[in-house]
Amino acid sequence: MYKIKLEHFEGPLDLLLFFIKRDEINIYDIPISKITKEFLDYVNLIKFLDLETAGEFILMASTLMHIKARMLLPKEYDEKGEVIDPRADLVKALLEYKRYKEMSEELSFFESAQRKISFRGNFSQDVSNPPDDFETLLGNVSVYDLAKVFKRVIEGIKNKPVHQVKKISVSISEQIDFIFKKLEDIHQIHFISLIEGIKQKIIVVVTFIAILELVKSKRIKIQSSDNYNDFLIIKT
Amino acid sequence: MSNFYKSVIEALIFSSDEPLSDSEIIRTIKGIDGEDAEISNQNVSDIIAELNTEYSDSGRSIRIVNIAGGYLFATKEEYSKYLGFLSNEKSKRRLSQAALETLAIIAYKQPITKPEIESIRGVNSDYIIASLLDKKLITISGRAETIGRPLLYSTTKEFLIYFGLSNIKDLPKPREIEEIMQDEDFIEQKNRIMMNAIEELVEKEDQENGSENKN
Repeated sequence: MYKIKLEHFEGPLDLLLFFIKRDEINIYDIPISKITKEFLDYVNLIKFLDLETAGEFILMASTLMHIKARMLLPKEYDEKGEVIDPRADLVKALLEYKRYKEMSEELSFFESAQRKISFRGNFSQDVSNPPDDFETLLGNVSVYDLAKVFKRVIEGIKNKPVHQVKKISVSISEQIDFIFKKLEDIHQIHFISLIEGIKQKIIVVVTFIAILELVKSKRIKIQSSDNYNDFLIIKT
Repeated sequence: MSNFYKSVIEALIFSSDEPLSDSEIIRTIKGIDGEDAEISNQNVSDIIAELNTEYSDSGRSIRIVNIAGGYLFATKEEYSKYLGFLSNEKSKRRLSQAALETLAIIAYKQPITKPEIESIRGVNSDYIIASLLDKKLITISGRAETIGRPLLYSTTKEFLIYFGLSNIKDLPKPREIEEIMQDEDFIEQKNRIMMNAIEELVEKEDQENGSENKN
């Protein structure tokens, strides 16, 4: 058997074309069972190497086997009464592929010729297109340099204080309800004990505004208490 | 007067990194000298031909090429070794067989969708298409009006420059299937590919030897 480097084949169609040309097969009369067998040998080989690529080859292998099975069945006829060759679609696909494969060779000659000439601004492209291989990209960077940078980045993250902004939702009417609820059982309450347990400044402020609002509408009275730092809220 | 415009055109092309089209040249001249300046497309291409003759007669290393629909100064092939040494050779890596194959399909069938490309190649082409887009050799040119409205791909101006073509129509015609069937040149084609590979190897060695000298 020939040794074949798989990376030289761009896909199942490419491999089939190779078999056909190598064995000087008439493409319109492909010995399907021989080709299928050879093809399967290679599929089995690459299955272990590269599953993703193998998938496409396995698909082709199953197409080949399907054709092989149809060849064994009684002949099929189209509307015109002509025999349908089960291989026809495959042959069409092979030839179509071959057309473009040939053109890719043409392009490759253009490429070769073109690589030999330089235009004005040639060197500015060196800067704008950084090399894509690791050797050149990494230059003299050693693994220790990378570790050093990594350490600095990690430490930088740790020291950064985190501020979180929480939205506190409170309204005057809510606080009015809150005050009346407090005053439900008892007739009067000290401001300090009213706001006891409230942790956010903004709620204390809104509560105070609610008190002013209630005083204005004469629904409560306020009175200075013995403690000068406090006052008394009295239900009217 | 014609001699004066010859120098003007030479200067315009010399100053440009991008292919400069006939119409841009004419527009520039008329913009300065007025609409009745005596210059036409034919004049421009004649003048370029004259300039190129002068360059080659006097043994210059440069010439003006017609590429991607415009004119551009280019070096002659003979000096590629030296230029390659000076520039970053790595950025001039060749395209892979798969990339060339995909480009050929796009070039001849554009605009074309990915499923159509894949059905011709018989293999998944995601990666290749992405890398060709990345290299700007192809571009997304719209969407097909079929189910799922898949993206359509076409070749770009960079494609023309990369392959040294003036126009997409300059590509050789793909052979008809009947023709393909009649020939026996498969071996010959493989040989041509081999020759390309050998050429590349020699180039590489040249370069390596060169780098040693440099160091």
